[in-house]
Amino acid sequence: MRLTMLGLIALLLGVAGWRLCTAPQGYATQDRMQISAPVQAAHPAGTDELGRDRAVRLSLALLLGVGGACCASALASFCTLLVSSFASFGPPWISRTLLYLSDLFMTLPWIFLLMLVRSALPLSLPPLQSGLLTFLLLGLLGIPVFLRLHHSRASALAASGWMLHAHATGLTLAQRLRSLLPHLRPLLLAQFLLYVPACLAAEANLGALGLGLSEPLPSLGTFIANLQSAALQAPSALVYLPIAVLVLVLLALELSLFGAES
Amino acid sequence: MKRLPRTLLAGALLLGVTLPVLRAATPNSRPSEIAWALQYDPKTLDPALVDDQASELVRFLTGGVLVRLNRASMALEPELAESWSVSPDGRTVSLRLRSGLKFSDGSALTSADVVSTLRRVLAPATKAPVAEEFVDPAKVTVDAPDPLSVRLHLPARVTGVVAFLDEIAIEPANRPSETRVTAGPFTLADYQRGQFLRLRRNPFYWKRDTAGASLPYLDGVRLDILANRDTEELRFLRGQYAVLDSVTPDTFAALGRRLPGATRDLGASLNTEQMWFNQVPNAPLPAYKKQWFSSRAFRAAVSAAIRRSDLARIAFDGHATPANGFISPANTAWYNRSLTPVHEDPQAALALLASDGFHKQGEHLVDREGHPVKFSIVTNAGNHARERMATLIQQDLAAIGVEVNVVTLDFPALIDRLMHTSDYEAALLGLSNVQPDPSTMMNVWLSNSPNHQWNPGQKTPATPWEAEIDKLMRAQAEAGDARTRKVSVDRVQAIVAEQLPFIYLVYPNTLCAVSPALEGVRTSVLQPDVVSSIERIRLKGDRR
Amino acid sequence: MRFLRRALRLLSLVVLAVLGTSLLMYVAPGYFSDAREMDAAHAGVARADLVSLQAQQSTLPRLLRSEIHGWLRGDLGTSRQYGTPVSSLIAERSALSAKLLLSGVALGWLAALLLTLPLGMQRSSVPEVFLVCGTALLLAVPAGLLATLCMVTGHGGPVLVLALLVGVRDIKLLQRMARTAWAAPYILHARAQGISTWRILGIHVLASLRHDLLALAVMSFTLALSALVPVEVIFDHPGLGQLAWSAAMNRDLPVLTVVTAIMAMCVGLASLSAETRRAGAASCA
Repeated sequence: MRLTMLGLIALLLGVAGWRLCTAPQGYATQDRMQISAPVQAAHPAGTDELGRDRAVRLSLALLLGVGGACCASALASFCTLLVSSFASFGPPWISRTLLYLSDLFMTLPWIFLLMLVRSALPLSLPPLQSGLLTFLLLGLLGIPVFLRLHHSRASALAASGWMLHAHATGLTLAQRLRSLLPHLRPLLLAQFLLYVPACLAAEANLGALGLGLSEPLPSLGTFIANLQSAALQAPSALVYLPIAVLVLVLLALELSLFGAES
Repeated sequence: MKRLPRTLLAGALLLGVTLPVLRAATPNSRPSEIAWALQYDPKTLDPALVDDQASELVRFLTGGVLVRLNRASMALEPELAESWSVSPDGRTVSLRLRSGLKFSDGSALTSADVVSTLRRVLAPATKAPVAEEFVDPAKVTVDAPDPLSVRLHLPARVTGVVAFLDEIAIEPANRPSETRVTAGPFTLADYQRGQFLRLRRNPFYWKRDTAGASLPYLDGVRLDILANRDTEELRFLRGQYAVLDSVTPDTFAALGRRLPGATRDLGASLNTEQMWFNQVPNAPLPAYKKQWFSSRAFRAAVSAAIRRSDLARIAFDGHATPANGFISPANTAWYNRSLTPVHEDPQAALALLASDGFHKQGEHLVDREGHPVKFSIVTNAGNHARERMATLIQQDLAAIGVEVNVVTLDFPALIDRLMHTSDYEAALLGLSNVQPDPSTMMNVWLSNSPNHQWNPGQKTPATPWEAEIDKLMRAQAEAGDARTRKVSVDRVQAIVAEQLPFIYLVYPNTLCAVSPALEGVRTSVLQPDVVSSIERIRLKGDRR
Repeated sequence: MRFLRRALRLLSLVVLAVLGTSLLMYVAPGYFSDAREMDAAHAGVARADLVSLQAQQSTLPRLLRSEIHGWLRGDLGTSRQYGTPVSSLIAERSALSAKLLLSGVALGWLAALLLTLPLGMQRSSVPEVFLVCGTALLLAVPAGLLATLCMVTGHGGPVLVLALLVGVRDIKLLQRMARTAWAAPYILHARAQGISTWRILGIHVLASLRHDLLALAVMSFTLALSALVPVEVIFDHPGLGQLAWSAAMNRDLPVLTVVTAIMAMCVGLASLSAETRRAGAASCA
């Protein structure tokens, strides 16, 4: 199962890469005579509202979006793990401070911080760099979201009998941390999977602040966010292709990790 | 074991509590009441303080005005004042009220109420936005020689002064009621902030139809506060809303398919979509970029490289007209018909650029010092048509070797850059013109105005052509006759088309939708486009 | 003493949240700007308003002073966008939001608990795979699309969307917790002894998960609080979430600080209650 799912992800990414390399049109090329064109030989998934090849754009969006979101999610998960694990072995005031800061963080309107970041950046920042920066920010902003949950689990484990026994037998902090990790893995994987689509949606919404993957780069999040009005406008069914691909990727990721846990 | 059934019971109770609220609430309708949506709450219900579109609509529906601008013919028509005259020196306006006028509470409306309202509006302490249009409102005096006559005395001629009376709703003397007592077709019955406003018919409204029946026909109007356009369109399709104003090009076709005959494209509006370059001398930009942006050849080349027909066809789904100036052809009285459409040709653009020292280096355009030509265009986020235009322009300019970065910003951050920090290179925005008279655009064209976007607040005009525009705009504002004014305004249009401080892109069409269940709807390109004939709108079959 | 310490902690959280919000909005671009500045007809009035605002709030301490003045006056200040006391805006909307929040979280939790806790005892992985597929689909569908679908079909409303947003994330986390809990040696032993599944679930599984469930409850509550904003905006539900969004977009600091203070209070209380229960459980043990 795990191998099959990993193979499916590799296949999807491979197809996306192949389409990007072999397509006669670039992702930004507008064919203004072929606006919202249906499926045809030259455009296997039709064209978008600006006459750009939908398959090429979706391929690049998939590579950039899934890659960026997975990196952001991995960063958030890793940092959460690191912080919560150390805190659970440290003196109680560290835990209290961390949880307090996490609560404070959850209540502040960070949208203004992102606006500040945008205003500090030059307007000429290329779209790709803007996208990478956005995913980095999302990775960092994701840390406190799951901190309390991780901390609760890690503290329970740190106070468990076998861990106290390990401490008593002279295991170092690093050794105890290493033995803690397998027990936190299910929660970590759940956080990772939850945060990937959240990052994609957040990246699309941050476009409103001048961050994220800006035009002409395609953004998977924007593809999906635009579906909100598509439900009313009822254009070509091909507009639902990005969400189908995303569901497929998330399922494959989930099932491959499900296999790993099993 | 005991815990589980308790948990399940609690769960079932919670489910019971939550299930009834799962269905989205729908507002109630009353017979002979129509509804539509406002995108946000009116900022004020005091008709003297109106400074936003939602409040303007409420004032239009409820306010009794002395003179009404006919939104279709753009001519002034008598309303509470049955006649008026302006003295030859333009400094005195005399108005004659209709007899027997009443407010919605049944009290008589006389010249004393008009004088009180006008004095309140013109008083500096009120800070009424419309007072600004009188140029020096503190020096305007108002008197009432008799109960049906009113006179306004102005310190100097103010062009189009009678038209400003369309924006002043007459209120009972010395007891402003915040729209609860009005002399217009409707009066405010109920207001739940963030939810709805309910207007009910004014039983003492003076106007009657040709058959002698009192107007308005409708018993009431409900204005739901609804920011989500999708919900608004859905409610329209379900028959919950009678009209949709400002339909977006994205949904126009879909609405037409679902409800044939309901959508209306009224043609070019008075609004413009334009881009401009930052020419502020102390803007935080490199000197070589400032030099590009202040070069007429550079601006003309950019203008020539943009395919406006594609912008209209693709970004607006065909519901826009390529633009060549700041006055739309919909403004028939002031549009300069001698202006030619912009010559769109990338080769001509390159030739213009070459004349200013720009040349191609491989695929990229560079200036005479070798700087690659690239700049960013800022626009507001959330406007699909504008975002698409920016992307189309990006490709158009790439064809002549110019690299463009499109940046969308939220509106306050964008305004901060445009109006305060001047930290931008080029901007793409629209300008809404609610009045056809070019005098209302004075603060865009006068070089010392903060709204002179490309280089605001100049102490002295930076260029000879800006000095000429200043002179012409002042001349048209002071001129007494329409013909002299038209000559000046035509010349301003010609200068703008030549110098391109604003590169005009398209005139978006006015798109709206009207329920097939309504009759008597007369649409216009001026606001409020769909309900400008609200008094005569009625439900089909309602013959009361 | 402990009560006092907790009250101080809650108070400091609220104060820091208010200070942080004021600082962030003040230094973010666009605080001293007004959309009407771009409108030729209303630019003059807008500029006059801005001049007066700048005079009152030229520095951060002056801004804080004017905010505190509003709070001390008892009406929590005057909203910049509505021109009315913030207290009246909050009073009108808080009941609607509280109802939506409680209903959404309750429904989401109920669904998550009913779907996940019994699943760990299943030998077959087929139901779990179905659950995985369902949650993956719901996670990929953004809140906006979900809401539009509800509106188009005429079924479901903000409560359902909020419940789905909360529930699907809780399911993901609970599913893993439940699997771990069911695989614990003492529970396997209890099952081998033939103790009824419901008894094991009620007494052992829930008991072993209680700390994690408390932490998850706090997390899903804060998640629901933040999801309140998009859900209310999309459904045009006139609650605090919609008010917070419009306050952020219109730089309405008096409103946003009050909404943030309420959020901080809710989050702080939820955290304190979780920690109190946890501490209580630890001391019992």
